[in-house]
Amino acid sequence: MSLPRLLRPLVRSHIPTPTASSPTTAHLPSVPTRSCIARRTYAMQTPGNPVMEIFNRRVKHLQKDRAAQNVEESRKTDYIKDEVARRLCERLLDIKRDFPQVLDLGANSCNIARALTTPLPDEGSPTGQAEPLASRISHLTCIDTSSALLNRDIDQPFNRALPITRQVVPDLETLPYAENSFDAVLSSLSIHWINDLPSLLAQVNHILKPDAPFIAAMFGGDTLFELRTSLQLADLERRGGVSPHVSPLADVRDVGGLLNKAGFKMLTIDVEDIVVEFPDTFSLMADLQAMGESNAILHREMGPLGREVLLANEAIYRELHMEEGARGIPATFRLIYMIGWKEGAGQAQPLERGSGQLNLKDILGGGSFEQK
Amino acid sequence: MPSTRTRPIERFAKATAKCSAEAAAYGKCVVADYNAVHKDMCAKEFMRLKDCFLAASKKV
Repeated sequence: MSLPRLLRPLVRSHIPTPTASSPTTAHLPSVPTRSCIARRTYAMQTPGNPVMEIFNRRVKHLQKDRAAQNVEESRKTDYIKDEVARRLCERLLDIKRDFPQVLDLGANSCNIARALTTPLPDEGSPTGQAEPLASRISHLTCIDTSSALLNRDIDQPFNRALPITRQVVPDLETLPYAENSFDAVLSSLSIHWINDLPSLLAQVNHILKPDAPFIAAMFGGDTLFELRTSLQLADLERRGGVSPHVSPLADVRDVGGLLNKAGFKMLTIDVEDIVVEFPDTFSLMADLQAMGESNAILHREMGPLGREVLLANEAIYRELHMEEGARGIPATFRLIYMIGWKEGAGQAQPLERGSGQLNLKDILGGGSFEQK
Repeated sequence: MPSTRTRPIERFAKATAKCSAEAAAYGKCVVADYNAVHKDMCAKEFMRLKDCFLAASKKV
């Protein structure tokens, strides 16, 4: 083989030589040639932010799809998502406003729509029930990656109480909407699977109308810490090392910074723990799977947990976390609720530091530390 | 479609539940020194738990 032939795959533009020794070049169409000096040999990075990849999006999509295939199990394990969606929607009560266009980001099975259409208890009214929140919303757009999960409850009665558009998006991390298109963005238990949270929050800020709220709930920091610790111990003792089984989650302290960085104003962040009791670790893990919330970390160990680790985990979990006399094992779900407002004209602004005229102690009472 | 088949994980759970004494012994051994766990630290206790589990899972 001649030298130019060997070199051809390396040097992208081959300069044809008009010699008889290389007959292949004779009938090649003339390509614009570039000298080898212009070839880039230095390391380069794709433009934009470096992409952080923690979760495998394809796996997450499959897990959600599979979970929703089993409709009965999937509905039965919606207890956390329904409860959180209800608590999230309660926060809308504080905002005396109508919302023509609302987006539900990462809708799962439209749990927020269900919560919005549920009548609220109200002792003041004759029926004992107030109008559901849905009466203040003209249109709800629900987006998620999994069509099976999104359309699971499409024939349920709550769909008729509120105009809902379900939209399957290939990826929750890029939102296909124009600037200033929504009067509120809600999100319940979805954004803990987002790889690039800063970018998503910036996009949410972009698609919101000025002075419109973003209200979200996500799993945070200490969620499932019991399972995390006992699986680590079981892994260590049985196999001599650990592999990630429970997702890394955002901490409460980080959320404020993230929202701030995305351009949100007047932040409200609060935390709530929901502790669920399970008969054993197997039912906890089976329920997580049925929720579509199983492990999707990119660098996780493939395949199911080994039987030895499962057995060891059950014993350690009980010993480490079960309380005396309790019927079952506790599993903590830590919810972070966040409200951020897009900047807008006429929005309430915080006063300058030190400009307060009243002492809060005079109004609220309370003593100093020394008096006790 | 409700399936009458018991899932493998359910059978696993049932068999494990029969060995609570062995599980407690193993759990205590690991938790006693959980800052310095190493491989096969409680191998003896685990083998006891495993034997019990295997015997129980045959009966289920």
